[in-house]
Amino acid sequence: MWTEKYRPKTFDQIVGNLKAKKEIMEWIDCWKENKPQKCLLLVGPPGTGKTTLAHVIASKFSDHVELNASDKRSYDIIMKTIGEASATTSLFNNGQKLIILDEVDGLHGRDDRGGVRAINRIIKEGRHPIIMMANDPYSNRIKGFKSKCKVIPIRKVHTNSITALLKKICVLEGIDFDDAVIKDLAKRSNGDLRSAINDLEVMAQGREKISSNDLDILSQKDNVSNIFDSVRTVLKSKTFRRIKDAMRLEEDPNFVLELITENIPREYEKNYEIEKAYEMISQADLNFGRAFNTRDYTYWRYTFDFMGLGVALAKDETYKKFARYGTSTVYTLLSKSRSKRDLRDKVAAKISERLHTSKKEAISQFPYFETMFQNDETAYELANYFDLEDSEVKLFRSRKIKIKKSKKKKSTNKTQNNKSTPSGLYSTTKSRKSSKNQQENEKSEKSNNKKSKNKDTNTRKTKLKKSAKRDVNTDKKVKQTSLFSFK
Amino acid sequence: MSGPWVEKYRPNNLEEIVGQDHIVQRLKRYVDEESMPNLMFTGPAGVGKTTTALALAKSVLGDYWRQNFLELNASDARGIDTVRTNIKNFCRLKPVGAPFRIIFLDEVDNMTKDAQHALRREMEMYTKTSSFILSCNYSSKIIDPIQSRCAIFRFAPVKGNHIIKRLEIIAQKEELDIDIKAIESIVYFAEGDLRKAINILQASASVSEKITEESIHEVVSKARPQDVKKMINKALNGDFLGARNILREVMVVQGISGEDMVTQIYQEVSRMAMQDSIDEETYVNLISSISEYDFRIREGANPRIQLEALITKFLSKSRTD
Repeated sequence: MWTEKYRPKTFDQIVGNLKAKKEIMEWIDCWKENKPQKCLLLVGPPGTGKTTLAHVIASKFSDHVELNASDKRSYDIIMKTIGEASATTSLFNNGQKLIILDEVDGLHGRDDRGGVRAINRIIKEGRHPIIMMANDPYSNRIKGFKSKCKVIPIRKVHTNSITALLKKICVLEGIDFDDAVIKDLAKRSNGDLRSAINDLEVMAQGREKISSNDLDILSQKDNVSNIFDSVRTVLKSKTFRRIKDAMRLEEDPNFVLELITENIPREYEKNYEIEKAYEMISQADLNFGRAFNTRDYTYWRYTFDFMGLGVALAKDETYKKFARYGTSTVYTLLSKSRSKRDLRDKVAAKISERLHTSKKEAISQFPYFETMFQNDETAYELANYFDLEDSEVKLFRSRKIKIKKSKKKKSTNKTQNNKSTPSGLYSTTKSRKSSKNQQENEKSEKSNNKKSKNKDTNTRKTKLKKSAKRDVNTDKKVKQTSLFSFK
Repeated sequence: MSGPWVEKYRPNNLEEIVGQDHIVQRLKRYVDEESMPNLMFTGPAGVGKTTTALALAKSVLGDYWRQNFLELNASDARGIDTVRTNIKNFCRLKPVGAPFRIIFLDEVDNMTKDAQHALRREMEMYTKTSSFILSCNYSSKIIDPIQSRCAIFRFAPVKGNHIIKRLEIIAQKEELDIDIKAIESIVYFAEGDLRKAINILQASASVSEKITEESIHEVVSKARPQDVKKMINKALNGDFLGARNILREVMVVQGISGEDMVTQIYQEVSRMAMQDSIDEETYVNLISSISEYDFRIREGANPRIQLEALITKFLSKSRTD
């Protein structure tokens, strides 16, 4: 592996990224002088030298531990590996031990459960120097701790630097080369030094000279384009061939459609162009629908034509400007509004259960419930009826419901047993559903009903008390999350 | 203890159901014969599909209806697994104290096609012990094999005089102070949706002692989010990004469905035409776009994308004022 063989060992050998290197060196010096620093987050595309940098940095410290994507990185595992490391101190260099966490944006939601929490905890302890690496600076996974880190962008390596390095390797390996071929190779790599070296190794295998013919044996990797490049091609170009090529993607077509849609108004300036482009988007979506409804996925090919060529041809002529493209605001909205949506869905689920409707229909009735909840008495009754907790009531009204005192007294005797009982009314509707309880006879059902009605009011009371404690923190949040504004 | 009136005044037997006479007549025959085929109820929201299903089940199954009735709500998980396990387990058992068992599946049009195909098998296998009642908004979204196994009943929007009758009964029982004009305005806003009508009534009753036309208007205008109005205004002023942001906020965060959005856009455009803020020709143009996209929402995969496309149609229309 040439990429390992020629991996730089010192800062001087690392190509490009002068500013980043300088910052990192200062960071190391501070640690050496025993001044704790923020943890480093190296962000940049693959093959630009993040891992190399980290290892060079590691050589400056006496000891280090590393966890990368090939390790499972759940809370326990991270705490065990790194927690141990941070508890023990090395005898040299002020006992500092470098912690390297590679590919932190690749933390898996399920398999690496709690990984982000563990990282946060380690950052907070802050006794040891930490370096983390990530590809995607906007990844949701690193959002949680990005602000606590010193973010150092690692940029793509310049083509000329890659060319120079490739030539050096050729000389060292004793391979004859064509200047043009090396240059082409460097260009193709698009700033990814590692892939350039890999490609060179593939081409040079068992040969003494590489020529332009050898370029053909390289995989078709670069034909499958990056999704943002494709979006850019669609919006910037009108050339049939280029757009057809750009649509040859190995991405979820829905995601591609979403990204093109998002960026249409960022590129196209005339409203009738936007209108025309959106007509094509609409057609593309129609074909998705057809594919989905008929389960005949040949319709997908039209989708790509509509969202590629169709959108591209909607503009009068190509714009000569720089437009900043982004991912769809829908995704950011989704992640931002998570707690709001959770609350909404929880309440909708409870209401739809009691009203024999779908959640969708329940949500469409929310505005009326909101009005009803303005009345204390109705609010109290409805909250009881739907078994809503305090925090859930906040969806409909900002004030707490005043509870009548007479009813409060009753609740004290039965407080113990309702921890395990879900509200009675709720459970009867449930029991109707579960097939086990089908054989239950009517009598017990009825008596059950009576009992549960009593319990229901009591459950509510204790829930009020309990949740009052629990919700001290969340209350403030919920206040703002009321979905509809009150007049 | 009253709870929501939509539940409190939900008819318990077929006789009480209003506005669907032709359907009720036919269903009564099933009760007399103590047998029924698989049924499919289709129609818009709030016209009585679920109520009819529940009432029918109670009539056919008698005292033991709870044991022999399975309701699977759209909010329950209803993937293939549910169909294969829950429904199968229920169907396998013999009916107790009733001629057969009934499975009621709400909003079948929201089930995946795969789940629908799984369902189709169940419907065939247990015809001796169980009958299905399926309900949906659009029968076009139900796969043909299921449609062919059902007697299809189309529920129409409830007529004005029927809604009035029902509201008057509720008003009387709740001892409300309400005049006929107020009731008529509820009917106007409800657009054949009895659930909505009753909710408007209860909402109005909870804010004021005396219910008048004005208080109804207040409740309804509060319930109609201002966002749609803002969105349309932005679009008519040529600010597409602004309009799109509002649309996304309303649909993603508030969770308003595509169908509801189209309805609200339609109502808002109609209101603008009534108030002469757009001319007739623009109105007709816009309505033709809205109708087209209403259709595309049902056919396409992503309602939000279709609605974004619909907003672009507003960009080229300028206001007359």
